[in-house]
Parts: sequence; C-alpha cells; structure tokens
Amino acid sequence: MNVLRKKGSKARGGLALAKGRFVLGVTLPLLVYESIGVFVLAWAFILMFFDYSPGRVGGPILGLGGSNPFVGIDHFIEMVKGTSVEASLFRISLKNTLIFAFAILPLNLAITLPLAYLLEQIGDRFKAMYRTIYFLPVLTSSVGVALIWMSMYDPQAGWINAIVRFFGGTPVTWLSDPRAGFLGISVAMWAVMLAYLWQDYGYNMVIFIAALQAIPQELKDAAMIDGASSWKAFTKITLPLIRPTMLFVCVMTMLSSFQVFDIIQVMTNGDPGNRTQVLMLDIYKNAFRYQNLGWAAAESFILFLIVMGVTIFQMRVLRTDWEY
Amino acid sequence: MKKALAISMLLVLLLSACGGSGGDGGKTVVRMWVHTNNAFIAGYEPLIAAYEAAHPEVDIQLENFDYELYLQTLQTAMPAGEEADILQLFGTWTSQYYERLAPVPAEVMTVEQAQETFYAAPIGGYIVDGVQYGMPQEFNCEYGGVLLNKTKFEAAGLTYPPQWQTLDDVVADAVALAQTDDAGMMTTAGFHFTSADPIAASFLAGIKQRGGDYWNADRSGFTFNTPEARAQLEWMLSMVQAGAVDPISFNDSTNFVIDAFFQGKVAIGYIGTWAIAEGQANFPDFADEWDYFYLPPVEGDPVFVADSGWGLTVSPNSENQSIAWDIVKFITADPVNATQWNIASGTIPAMPAVAESTEIAAAMPWVPKALAILPYGEYLGNMPDRDLVMYEIIYPHILNVLQGVETIDQALEAIDAEANSTFE
Repeated sequence: MNVLRKKGSKARGGLALAKGRFVLGVTLPLLVYESIGVFVLAWAFILMFFDYSPGRVGGPILGLGGSNPFVGIDHFIEMVKGTSVEASLFRISLKNTLIFAFAILPLNLAITLPLAYLLEQIGDRFKAMYRTIYFLPVLTSSVGVALIWMSMYDPQAGWINAIVRFFGGTPVTWLSDPRAGFLGISVAMWAVMLAYLWQDYGYNMVIFIAALQAIPQELKDAAMIDGASSWKAFTKITLPLIRPTMLFVCVMTMLSSFQVFDIIQVMTNGDPGNRTQVLMLDIYKNAFRYQNLGWAAAESFILFLIVMGVTIFQMRVLRTDWEY
Repeated sequence: MKKALAISMLLVLLLSACGGSGGDGGKTVVRMWVHTNNAFIAGYEPLIAAYEAAHPEVDIQLENFDYELYLQTLQTAMPAGEEADILQLFGTWTSQYYERLAPVPAEVMTVEQAQETFYAAPIGGYIVDGVQYGMPQEFNCEYGGVLLNKTKFEAAGLTYPPQWQTLDDVVADAVALAQTDDAGMMTTAGFHFTSADPIAASFLAGIKQRGGDYWNADRSGFTFNTPEARAQLEWMLSMVQAGAVDPISFNDSTNFVIDAFFQGKVAIGYIGTWAIAEGQANFPDFADEWDYFYLPPVEGDPVFVADSGWGLTVSPNSENQSIAWDIVKFITADPVNATQWNIASGTIPAMPAVAESTEIAAAMPWVPKALAILPYGEYLGNMPDRDLVMYEIIYPHILNVLQGVETIDQALEAIDAEANSTFE
C-alpha cells in the first residue's frame, strides 16, 4: 500500500517536474527576447538625455559623455521654446500629427461603421465578396498604396485631375501645392489622409462586422416588437452594445495614426513646405539622416506620452462595466 | 555522461561556426561596404578581381546595402566596432564620422600629395582639421550641368546646340520651350531648376560668383542674409516669374527633375551628371534626343561649391589596415583603375589627370564640357550638418519664395537664423 502511494506521488512529482520544465522551456526564450526589448527601450530612454550621434566616439561607457555630452532635459526645453530648425520642425510635426490622427479617427468611423452595418444587412452570397473587396487594401503594402495614389494625384496625367478637367474645373497639384488648403488643412495632407483611409478602413470594417454579428438577434427582435425604427434600434441597441469594440477600434486607429510613416514618406516626404511632416517622419530623419539620435529619442518619448495619454482617455470614456 | 559529451560537442561545433575566420585557405579577408548602386558596383567588381589576381593572399568581400539601410548600418556598426575594413563614404560625411575613421598614413599619401592628385572640391571633403581620412573617387558636381532635350529645341525652332553666352539666353530659351495646357497647368517645364540639389547648388554658386560668401571670416557661422544672396534669390524668382518653370508642379516631390526629363516633361533640367546613368537605366524607352551641357555663370568666373563625392575610407578597427589602404589607393588613386571605375559608374573623375584623359572623353562626352568649370570648384566646407542645412533649411525656404508663400526677406532671415542654429 505504502509502495503504491509512493509510486503515485512519484508519478505526480514527475508530472509536476515535466510541467515545470515545459513552462521554463517556453517562457525562458520569451523572457530573453523581452529583455532585449527592455534593453532597447532603456537605451532610448537614456539617449534622450544626451546630445548623442553615432558618428562621434564619445565617452568610454557606451559612447555616452565626451563628444556626446549629457544635456539633461535640454532637448525638451528646446522643443517647447527653442528657435533651432529641429525645434521648429518638431512643433510643426507635432501639429501635423495631431491633425492627422484626430481627423482620421472620425473619418474612419464615419466610413467603417455604416459600411459594416450595411454589409450586415445584405445577403450572405454578396457579404463575403464585399468583405474581401474592402479588406484587400489592408493587405496591400503601404508603399504600393502610396505609389498607386501618387499616380492618381499626378497633376498632369492623374485621373483625379482628368475628372476635374472633364467637369471644367481647375486642376490641382495635390501633393505639392503649399497654397491650397481646405478647412485650414493643406490639400496635400487631405490627399495623404484619403490614401491612408482607403488602405486602413477595411480592417476596422471587418472588426465592426464581427461585433455586429455577435449582437443577439433577440435584442433586435424585441426592439422591433416594441416598435423601434431602424435608426432607433441602431442608436439605442446596436451602438451601446458594440462599445467595447468601438473602444478597441478607436485605440488601435489612434495608435496607428500617431505612428503613420511609410505612406507619407513615399507620397510627400513631408512636403510641401513641411505641411505633411509628421512626428514619425521627423524622428526617422533626425535619427538616420541627421544622426541626431539623442533628439530623436526625446521626440519618441513625447510621442509615447501623447499616445499613452490619448489611449488612457479613450479607455476611460468608452469603457463598459458589463458584458452580453 | 553521454549527454554532457553531446552538449560539449555541440558547443564546440557552434563556437567553431561563430568564430572569426582567417578566410578561404588562409587568405586575408578584407571586407568592403558600399551602398547599392549597380553602376558603382559594376565599377568595383573588376578592380577587386584585378587586385586579388595581383595579391592571391587577399580575399576582398564586397557587401552592398540599400542607401537608407547603409546609413543605418554604419550608425549601428561603427559604435559597436563591427564595421567592415573598407567603407564607402560620401566626402561631406567625413566631418561627422572622422572620429571613427583611420587617418590616411603618410606613407600611403600625404595631404599635400592628395591635394595635387585630386580636384580641390572632392578631396576637401575628406580632410578634417588638416587630417586626411579617405580618398575620393568622383567629383560630385551639382552645379551648372543641365540635361537638354534636343527634340524639344528643334520642335520649338530654337538654335541647337544652344549658344548661351549669359543666363538671360538660357531663360529666353526656357520660356520659349515651356508649355501650359488649357487649364493653366504647366505640361512642359522650360527650365526645371526647382529640385533640392539644383536650388542649393545654384544659390551657393550665385553668392560666390557675385563676390559674396556664405561663411563668416573664421568659418564659425553662416552669412546668408547678404546682398549677394538676395540678388541670387531675386534672379531665381525672376526666372519663375518669366514662366520658365512652375515650381508648384515641378519640384523635388512632384515631377522630380530626372523622372520628368526622361518622361518628356522637361526641356532643360538642372541636375548633376549622376542623373544620366540613372535616367538611362530607369527610362530605356525614352525616344527624344538629348545631351548634357553647362550653364554660363551669373557673372565673372564660374566659381562654385561642391560637396565632395563618393570615396573610400578605412576603419580604425580593421586588423588589416595596411592592406585596406593599399586596396583603397589601388582603386582610387591609380589613374588607369580610376578611369575604369569612373566610366563604369558614369561619374566625373576626382582626378584632373583622369578627367582630361581621352578614354573619359570617348566614354563620357559630357566630361570634357565640364573641364572648363571643374578647376573653379571649391569644397562646400565642413558644415555641422550639411544635409540639414541643404535639405531642411535652404531648399524649403527658397522653394517657398518661388512658390509665393514666403518673401525674400523672410526666407533670407530664416535661412540665416536656422543655419546658424546648427552650430549650437
């Protein structure tokens, strides 16, 4: 009897040991991988307090100090009230990034939510086809999207100006006219936003479709029996029930909008006259073109703070305490 | 025990795989990094083969990176001391990287010998505080050269080749060549000088040719708000006002000069000779006849500034520095080899002896046309951040003036203040 019990406990002990090994085996590589990420973040955090350029040898510890001097919070003071070209470009980039992000979110929601709702109403035969069509741009590379839209915006040969000419309008130099604007935003920025929206909206649309499909049919039926119109049912039943999805969509859209880079780099590279220069592009130029890594790290930190602040705000406003 | 033995064997195998290699069959391996430019690489490959044939104990490994990736690789590899033995650098970068470069040993070439061997502008970029850190391979001349569309000249009934005596003659031809559609959109630019490099090059050359300078006396700051700079900017604006080009639809981001010229949208396109190889490669079906010419100066001698050119440097971390320098000298300073490389890459030679050779004249007929101006080229000067000054300060402000969103006064004040802030 004792022997059996001993055997059983040994077997359980072996299983626990094996489980432990398994957990260690899968988590250790992840921990190592994560620690690399932590090191990179720590390096970026340290760099923002130095006037660091990789071209200079600097001090004996990681090249910090010496010709890469410690500057404390000087970068941040310069960003706020400095007169250098870096400071003025930072302020322009920050303004453009905020314009981009806060314009993209409502525009994206205004397109994706009604479209998802409409797609939910049509028959299953066409639903999959439309969903695929709308989702295709998401799968296309940003550079490809940028090149397609650049050819459409071409002032001489683009078909957008061809349509403008057909209706007797004056053709526009969409991507490089600093004088042209609408609602206080340059035409070039609108043009880039349109291309970005086209590429991005399929993603949110699919998420909204999934959320709409998850709403129990009984709730909609009950609303109809109570005499609610379609609009009332949408605003009083559907919208509140997809709030958690809305939160996810808002946070993700904001995050990606604040980090917009490739489509702008290819389409305008910040032109005309820095009217489409956004923070990520400015960070990239400072880090890799002008070798101003300390400044770029400080800019990245500001971007991180903004994104974190906006995300927390969205989570507070849109959070729900219930599930269905 | 078995397990421990297996693990030890695995470790030994891994270590031997990761360990440094003495090269193939005991050869000395010399690594060389360059940016990806097929014409340049086509120039390097036969020279490397020739060196290896003459030195069988040396194995040169050429590695190339896309331009942006090359910059990033240099910036990460150099602080880590992991860079290759030989590094291709653009001359003006030397002042930013010199702390991480090996000086040229006197027995390889002294500064005085270098200044006799190469044109002043290209070698100037490789000298910082009197110390030479590399050898140039090309004269990057952004000033004064233009692509000319012969077909458009003849269609417009203009004299070809043009007999330009002054810049006014150029503007007259440009205005005659420019075309606009019914909606007022310029479809052919008469004289496309509104990309970043041409704007910066003509602005700085104009200041010098008018007797001014953009450096202060001790080169500790810039002087951009001067009568000479104003006169040059006024002249550039007058070309736009005359209708030679519409800077809204012809600039760096829309209708870039090389693309637009080889698509038949530009009659006279201001750009360095490097554009020729790129245009021919990217637009092989371009049917118009064209050639390359040089503009007359604003006034006086064709004095201009140039920002050096591509060349080769050696890492101070290289364990084979003497071999590396021997290779660099073999590729850059041997007239026969330099001729071969310049022809393959389509670049203007950094050495007067090569630029004046009959081989170069036969292969690149535009180079003899440049011989009259090349000796007037001065090095741009070691700016704290050349790219920032050229592309984020001079170009955007001048383009703003030409596009009508900034006055000349505003632009000159901004350029002066912002450029001087790069010294802080």
